Amino acid sequence: MKRRVWQLFGPVAIAAGLTLALFLAPLSFKRMSPAAVRSASVAMSPTVLAGARAKNQALAQGAVPFFGSSELSRLDPFHPSALATRYHRNYRPFLIGAPGTQSLTQFINAQTMLPKLRHKKAVFIVSMQWFTRRGVMRPAFDYFYSPLETVTWVLGAKNTVADRYAARRLLCMQAVKKDQTVKSALLQVAAGQKISRPLRLLLEARLQILHNEDGLFSHFTVNPHERELAKSVRQLPATATNDQLDALAAKVGAAHTRNNSFGIDDHFFSSRLGEGRLAKMRGKQRGFDYRFGPEYSDFQLLLTAFARYDVDVQFVIPPINAKWAAYTGLSEAKLHQAVEKLRVQLQGQGFNRVLDLSRDGSRPYFMQDTIHIGWRGWVRVDRTVAPFLAAPRRPVSYHLNPQFYTKSWRDAVVSGN
Amino acid sequence: MSPLSPYADPKYFLILLVALIPVIVGLWHGHRLRYWESGVALVFIAWMFAGPHKWHEGVALIAYVIFQLALVEGYAHYRKAHNQTPTFVLAVLASIAPLAVVKLTPVFSVQPSLLGFLGISYLTFKSVQVIMELRDGALKAVPPVAFLRFLLFLPTISSGPIDRFRRFQKDYDAVPTQDAYLEMLGRALKSVMLGFGYKFVLGYLFGTVMLPQVTQAAMAARGTWALTWPLIGYMYTYSMYLFFDFAGYSLFAVGMSLVMGIDTPVNFNKPFAAGNIKEFWNRWHMTLSFWFRDFIFMRVTFFIMKHKLIKNRIRVSQVAYLINFLIMGFWHGVTWYYIVYGLFHAGAIIINDYWLRYKKKHRATMPHNQWTQALAVVITFNVVCFSFLIFSGFLGQVF
Repeated sequence: MKRRVWQLFGPVAIAAGLTLALFLAPLSFKRMSPAAVRSASVAMSPTVLAGARAKNQALAQGAVPFFGSSELSRLDPFHPSALATRYHRNYRPFLIGAPGTQSLTQFINAQTMLPKLRHKKAVFIVSMQWFTRRGVMRPAFDYFYSPLETVTWVLGAKNTVADRYAARRLLCMQAVKKDQTVKSALLQVAAGQKISRPLRLLLEARLQILHNEDGLFSHFTVNPHERELAKSVRQLPATATNDQLDALAAKVGAAHTRNNSFGIDDHFFSSRLGEGRLAKMRGKQRGFDYRFGPEYSDFQLLLTAFARYDVDVQFVIPPINAKWAAYTGLSEAKLHQAVEKLRVQLQGQGFNRVLDLSRDGSRPYFMQDTIHIGWRGWVRVDRTVAPFLAAPRRPVSYHLNPQFYTKSWRDAVVSGN
Repeated sequence: MSPLSPYADPKYFLILLVALIPVIVGLWHGHRLRYWESGVALVFIAWMFAGPHKWHEGVALIAYVIFQLALVEGYAHYRKAHNQTPTFVLAVLASIAPLAVVKLTPVFSVQPSLLGFLGISYLTFKSVQVIMELRDGALKAVPPVAFLRFLLFLPTISSGPIDRFRRFQKDYDAVPTQDAYLEMLGRALKSVMLGFGYKFVLGYLFGTVMLPQVTQAAMAARGTWALTWPLIGYMYTYSMYLFFDFAGYSLFAVGMSLVMGIDTPVNFNKPFAAGNIKEFWNRWHMTLSFWFRDFIFMRVTFFIMKHKLIKNRIRVSQVAYLINFLIMGFWHGVTWYYIVYGLFHAGAIIINDYWLRYKKKHRATMPHNQWTQALAVVITFNVVCFSFLIFSGFLGQVF
């Protein structure tokens, strides 16, 4: 009888044991090929953004993270990735962001990467559209949710204002709430307690499994962005000064914005605003207000992390297409107050590299469409970013202020002009 | 507390198996732990409907079960002394009524019926079957507790396979010997592992990975009334998804039944290896098609013959097929594509019958070898896949 029981269940028991051992073993994975890293650096897919392997290998090979959101996928010839490739710059941008990535997503998904960014540089494009009353869009957060990064963060969380705030914010998210172990740990962090020992052990085992899954199962194949980028690179001359690029950008921009008076890319206009959809947008954004909300404190989490790891960050605040803003009724005054509030938060804590383009929304061919920077806008960004990345790293001094985690800051009005 | 859907992810098996450990140990030693088993079933059923969005389904289930119990016991009591046809018809109609309301509600309202809950169809099949067998005299009495146990048998509660009361009761009363139980556990393991491969690997591959891609491609290529290549791709992908998802689910239900010492009948037997449509229905969703055969097709045939409504025997079976599959279509849901799906299969099976008769007549000249056999399988497979394309309702979106 024993023999028969063993014959039936032995193989399953062994298979289960082996699987568990494989996932719990501290595996190490071979380096990704340069081609795979190149592909991942423009993929902007959830696999790359929520995974750890591609981001960290790229950083180890000297790539510079460009944090942002939807504008990163506007891969026209003047996009940072195109310029860096064509002119053999001393840096390779690694694009971290996609439509829907906001401060909280960026903060969590940077966790495994931050130690590798220590004493290095980064570029951060922050969109005012993130700063809505509700803050991060819940479905987008869930879409980019990374258990690996979240567990990494929670295991290192301390009893600080920042970490308690982050835990509370994460607990609002559906993807996190569904994860019972992470949820329990977050509740303890939010309450200022240490994570209990059994829970910590469970999370550590989980982290090992997640690391192995990430190494074993994340594949990086050729993505459409790579082809798009290659096409853009081919359109650039072999050598060009920033002024020459600006002139070329104006020419390319003019050729792409013929079917509308907003200076919006033809394809974007016909596919998103054509067939009467434009008229429906008139006055539609009169109520938009980017001055308040949780995003300001979520953004502070990123600043806290950059300060902790001594990262020198160049921030970029892109504009909104002025004709578009006028048509939709978006309040310029409120927008400028929001930008001012963000600048106070940045510069008040020593983050002095802020390229504020928010008043450049009416410059021709600066925006590729409604809210996304393009052509001449990218060239303007390059004029600041290229020298920043070319120069040797200089010391930074940040002095963090916990008041940015308070409700009174989130509700505060900073008068702009 | 969030609801625990049966077999939705591998965790369910772990939780259920842990809860069933005493049952397994008991059966191993020749005892059935009746109270523990019922307790586990009740807890897991309650868990299925836990939380703010599902509790009303749980209430609907309780009301439904009380109603069916009263109906079946009432009819069983009545049947001891009487056997009037109108009473029987009334009992069957009453038994079907809640399901009919649930299925018809979407035609009139965007809100789903309050009577509905996960698994109502399969409970109705079981209940109707008991009433029919009481009418036939095959069943003399239905003890209330036994009826509830049969109706609410946990492994099959949400989507079958559809067992028969007498078969189930025999298994339940006879505790298997240790040898037999070990053999059952072996089959349980095989079913569950194969089910994992079907549902979580192949079903996932076809349903979650591939289906959205072919859907998008087919939507992009729409605008003609022809079968475009992407639409054909959709047809095969959807068919594979339908099979692996449901067959995997059925294997889980069979496996977990075996763990509890109940030999629930299998639902699929290599359906795509069928050489004709009739054979297909003997291999696809078998407990459903046998239920329809026994309680619709046979009864319709018998009714027509008894009342001499149609003389020609071929016509009799053709009409019976049409009614049988039409009802199956309506059962799937009151939409054009389920009904067309039913009619399509009735048509296919009628044409198939013509062909079989033709073949029989010309047996001497008709080639029959492995090539014709293979051709038959290929044709049947494609006809079936096309019927699933109708079933998917996707044609309504594409055209």
